[in-house]
Amino acid sequence: MYRLTLVADLALAVRDLRKSFRTPFARKKIEALRGVTFEVQKGHIFGFVGPNGAGKTTTIRTLMGLIKPTSGSATILGRTVPSRAARERVGFLPESPYFYDYLTVPELLDLVGRLFGIPGPERKKRADELIERVGLSRARTQNLKKFSKGMLQRAGLAQALMNDPELVVLDEPMSGLDPIGRKEVRDLILSLRDAGKTVFFSTHILSDVEAITDRVAIIARGQLQASGTPAELVAQSVQAVDITIRLTGEAGDLTAGADQVRRHEDELSLSLPASADVDAWLAKAHAAGAKVISVAPRHETLEARFLREVASAEAVP
Amino acid sequence: MTARLWAIALNTFREAVRIRVLYGFLVLVVGANLLAIVLGVMANNEEARVSRDVGLAGISLFGSLTAIFLGVFLLYTEVQRRTIHVIASKPIERWEFVVGKYLGMGLVLSVLVGVFGLAMIGMLALQDVPVTSAVVKAIVLAWMEVLVVAAIAIFFSSFSTPFLSGIFALALWVIGRLTPDLENAVRTGAGSIRAVAKVTLAVVPDLHLFAVSGRAVEGDVVSVHADFVSWGYVGLASLHGLAWIVGLLAFAAILFSRRDFA
Repeated sequence: MYRLTLVADLALAVRDLRKSFRTPFARKKIEALRGVTFEVQKGHIFGFVGPNGAGKTTTIRTLMGLIKPTSGSATILGRTVPSRAARERVGFLPESPYFYDYLTVPELLDLVGRLFGIPGPERKKRADELIERVGLSRARTQNLKKFSKGMLQRAGLAQALMNDPELVVLDEPMSGLDPIGRKEVRDLILSLRDAGKTVFFSTHILSDVEAITDRVAIIARGQLQASGTPAELVAQSVQAVDITIRLTGEAGDLTAGADQVRRHEDELSLSLPASADVDAWLAKAHAAGAKVISVAPRHETLEARFLREVASAEAVP
Repeated sequence: MTARLWAIALNTFREAVRIRVLYGFLVLVVGANLLAIVLGVMANNEEARVSRDVGLAGISLFGSLTAIFLGVFLLYTEVQRRTIHVIASKPIERWEFVVGKYLGMGLVLSVLVGVFGLAMIGMLALQDVPVTSAVVKAIVLAWMEVLVVAAIAIFFSSFSTPFLSGIFALALWVIGRLTPDLENAVRTGAGSIRAVAKVTLAVVPDLHLFAVSGRAVEGDVVSVHADFVSWGYVGLASLHGLAWIVGLLAFAAILFSRRDFA
């Protein structure tokens, strides 16, 4: 299916991005990115998933101008990367963020606000709002040195939003957070989209991706393996059809070729393989006097798709 | 641009004043001044001379060592601790970051030299030694030297580890103090020695310009105890130092801009 996307509608456009490193002594070439191409539309939540070492963080650091690509190009909100202009409208949370541990959160936000050129009174107002929003009001006077990992992550989110960015790039934003913290970050990401922002985030946690993203890209070994909406990624492959019927007599040969057969009193549940002729099977069940309770295609989960894509990337020499 | 430079400078100042080693240097300088009093008493009728010499040497030595210490660590730790990821992802150019770091360091070092100078002046006052304009000029020259040494340290720190940067900066500081000897080697040395001395003079900042007491300047021996250099000389030497600072920071910024922060 072809999608027509105007450049003006893109928050992020990455074209054939490549990055090679040399190991310090052996000078062995390591290809961290091997032609990554994708687009993120404005107003979307885009999940970037992949195993450790897949190239997620390298891609993000390249977009943020921390790493220079070996080749390829990228634009952020139509502005070429790397450039100061591109970074002006972006908020960024690095992976496991490290801050100046002698600062308090208001001091950190003041520093970041100054770098964005936000005037003094507005800087203070915005910092106060964000501290409240990320739930750090009671830790205002504490040095970041005394913060737990979860608190640091919240401070990181606050600084990423200091410039009221159009695009928010979050590298593993749920890392180090407890389930409540993760839920709060998910809600924050959703509220950013509701406010018209675009959110691009990397994660390992697939349930978060399924829950909140508009589009997902799976990266492994420095290459994009698949991308689409979560529904598209899993709809491409129906694994089986789960059927439940109410029998009036014996099941007979209805269970032939079926999987996961369970019978509870007059109810029979089973799974037919994706290749099975479901209409013919249902006709046979009707003929046997059975009443159909439910017929549901079972799709591949995002996790299963993810594992399959990663395994297939790993299998390539 | 100014706001961004100031933001980095202010943060660097905050960071540096938390480094306890700095206070160690401060104690050493005060100790050196106290030692000067003792030495002055031991050297009959030479209290003023000893106090001025030891005081100025203390400012120059400990100021330069502090500059090297701060210069090799403050930039490097930004990369090592990955705090650079938060800063460099904001709309700030790499050169602005390097210059901002330097300005913050310069601010700390200026405060330190100011405190060192006040400690020296206090000790001189305790011994009823007059604080002449020569002493003030010598302190200003020592301050400029410290700022140049800080730029040398930042330059090496932009591409090297603190250990190597420290060694390189220390070596350059020592060689920079030996420029009269190098000039002599150019005049009188054998072929290869002359060539090495010539190249060294071209690539090493002339730090001797900032510590001229007891040496000849344009044919006349100047001394902080008698006839010292003019304010015009101080101005020209400062301009020379400023040119080196700009050059070193420009190279540091270029090298830092080429780095990947993986």
